[in-house]
Amino acid sequence: MASRRALVKRALGIQRTGAAPPTRFAERQEVDFVIVGCGTAGGILAKQLSTRGFSVVVLEQGPYLRAADFGHDELSTFVTDTPLTGSPQDFPQTFRTTEDEEPRPGGGFAGGVFYARMVGGSSAHFTGNMWRFRPIDFHERSLFGAVPGANLADWPVTYEELEPYYTQAEWEMGISGAPGPNDPPRSRGYPMPPLPIKSSGVLLERGARAAGFTSQPAPMAILSRAYRDRPPCQHCGFCLAFPCEYNAKSSTLVAMVPLAEATGRCEIRPHSTVFRVELDDAGRAKQVVYYDAEGVEHAQAARAVILSANGAETSRLLLMSESSRFPDGLANSSGYVGKHLMFNAISACHALFDEPLNEFKSVQVTRIVMDFYDSDPARGFYGGGGIDARWLHFPIMFGLGGLPSDAPSWGPEYARMLSEYFNRTMDINGHCTSLPLERNNITLDPTVKDKWGLPAIRTTYLDHPDDMAMKTFLQDRGMEILEGAGARRAWRDPVVPETLGAHLLGTARMGKDPATSVVDEHHRTHDVPNLFLCDGSSFVTSGRGQPTLTIMALAFRAGEHIAGFAERGEI
Amino acid sequence: MEHTRRDFLTTGASGLGVAWLATRMPLFEATARLAHDSRASGAFTVLTPEEAAELEAVAETIIPAVDDLPGAKDAGVIHFIDRAFETFQAGGLGAAREGLAGLQERVEARFPGAGPFSRLSGPRRAEVLREVENGGFFGTMRFLTVAGMFSMPSYGGNEGKLGWKLLGFEDRFAWQPPFGYYDAQVNRG
Repeated sequence: MASRRALVKRALGIQRTGAAPPTRFAERQEVDFVIVGCGTAGGILAKQLSTRGFSVVVLEQGPYLRAADFGHDELSTFVTDTPLTGSPQDFPQTFRTTEDEEPRPGGGFAGGVFYARMVGGSSAHFTGNMWRFRPIDFHERSLFGAVPGANLADWPVTYEELEPYYTQAEWEMGISGAPGPNDPPRSRGYPMPPLPIKSSGVLLERGARAAGFTSQPAPMAILSRAYRDRPPCQHCGFCLAFPCEYNAKSSTLVAMVPLAEATGRCEIRPHSTVFRVELDDAGRAKQVVYYDAEGVEHAQAARAVILSANGAETSRLLLMSESSRFPDGLANSSGYVGKHLMFNAISACHALFDEPLNEFKSVQVTRIVMDFYDSDPARGFYGGGGIDARWLHFPIMFGLGGLPSDAPSWGPEYARMLSEYFNRTMDINGHCTSLPLERNNITLDPTVKDKWGLPAIRTTYLDHPDDMAMKTFLQDRGMEILEGAGARRAWRDPVVPETLGAHLLGTARMGKDPATSVVDEHHRTHDVPNLFLCDGSSFVTSGRGQPTLTIMALAFRAGEHIAGFAERGEI
Repeated sequence: MEHTRRDFLTTGASGLGVAWLATRMPLFEATARLAHDSRASGAFTVLTPEEAAELEAVAETIIPAVDDLPGAKDAGVIHFIDRAFETFQAGGLGAAREGLAGLQERVEARFPGAGPFSRLSGPRRAEVLREVENGGFFGTMRFLTVAGMFSMPSYGGNEGKLGWKLLGFEDRFAWQPPFGYYDAQVNRG
């Protein structure tokens, strides 16, 4: 056990194990791997490949921040500066529901895609939900059959193949939880017990029991006890959209990147915005070209290139890397790059209780209901999902929209209700499937450019009718839970099509057939033998609403396979 | 500073978190001082004293002090609004001035000679605001009032953390269970 002083220093991010200076590769030096994006997948791949002896440069467009840089500034995080998610001025986006519609400005909460630009990526600012997929997720096309209008397909991997990597992810990242009644098979328990239950969790359990459902502890990427030199959660309450000031959230920033750097073979290069992957004459990836913080152009050569930039940015980079060999975008002979974007669909309901819950304390989620995971043909539509009790509102957000829609929005009664409701309200979310649709996609906006002059991301997205039906189905179950829990009153948010996605899935799907997929079952592109894509883009289906653990498991598995290919000279 | 260093060290945070918080105390204290200094001068940066008085009356109508609860005026929200028009809301200052002028015209039309807005009684203010509550001026003022009431005091509003007191939010950022009534009930068995 390290000394307390050492632990505190580590928590502050000021210690470098072994006191070795950070690795820096010379400008023109070719490395074994260049990874684009140091997020959920990129951070894991950096650690997996560097610990296997390979030289790795990770290019991250955002900054390299440490625990001491993080706080609880709701105004800056969501409204004024949005330092982690990109300001709409610097990084404009456009959004439309279908290609017949004129794109409107997106970005921020206006619509489009939402992700953290920083070392650690969205694993640093996410809520921390760590649901495993289940066996059915990987072969639902065979189980359920075709869904009209959708391009539902089986994965080229099974749950059984991925299971060891789920376990590896849970243990190496540091996940708290306990097996529940509806869990998929697992080879090992969780490395630590669940976080303490909140009042919303108690009420979810109570309501679920009354309604005849089963509840279970939520698996979270947040430490319930000290683990691998990181301190346990202090229950500050600011997980969603806030990186952890205690290093208790199990992001790749704190769980993977330090291990990669400690090898002396991995350089994390922040403020590096890759805008092109270049090929040699033989059609192999040769180097990536990027801008540094000042906008100066650089190139990083590598024997193999891995894109882990997220489902939106990986698509954008491939589309920006078109050439005479790949006129529709790099590795896009299938035409599938950017298509089949899946956000996961969400519905919400809320309730007021008689006594204080104080939901502003501690993590967002402590209990979940997984009884509706499987698709059930008896419902009359495709889809499945999970329900969680959570807290969605920080103070400003609550003031702006936390009260029921029939409540006054200003004046004396508004003030009274703010005071009465803030600590007595809880939220329930239904999280569910999004069908893969060709019409839902990432493309390059033909006119709008970002601060580097690069084409802005244009998102086209409209839920399938079955996604809408599943959202409503889960909201109905959520209302039953809240009423069963004894709510004084419960109310629903309108069920509307998703316009803003934080889960960026499916845009370079994996598959065995090069005509209908972008990467093979080992994340190697069908078109370019030394180009790999590993992040949410690899997903074939969306899962039930919490994709991060599956992105992590895929990355651990990809790291294993890619390292094997490299060692055997098969890249 | 509402929570003293001693509070931080004794409010139940365990082990490493306590040690870590202790290292952060100077930062918390510096932030609190900065916030205090920015209001001590009482001057406005972009708003004239007259504009500030009128906009403060609008903010107080949006979140009035009722019962024994603090309102927008108590929490110094106008200082947040002034700073917002200097910074992230700078592009909206012209429109806000036009909106305020339009509001005063409505005051004069509805209650001749009784204006400006800040001189009206609470019910009369509400009556006038109801006429414009779907417009851009009101939307901006509602957003700024709420944001100023509930953002960190270092932004100029939420003075004395009165906005957070209205909600019952505490900025301790380190808690131990039980968190609320229902989990306390279960944990007591």
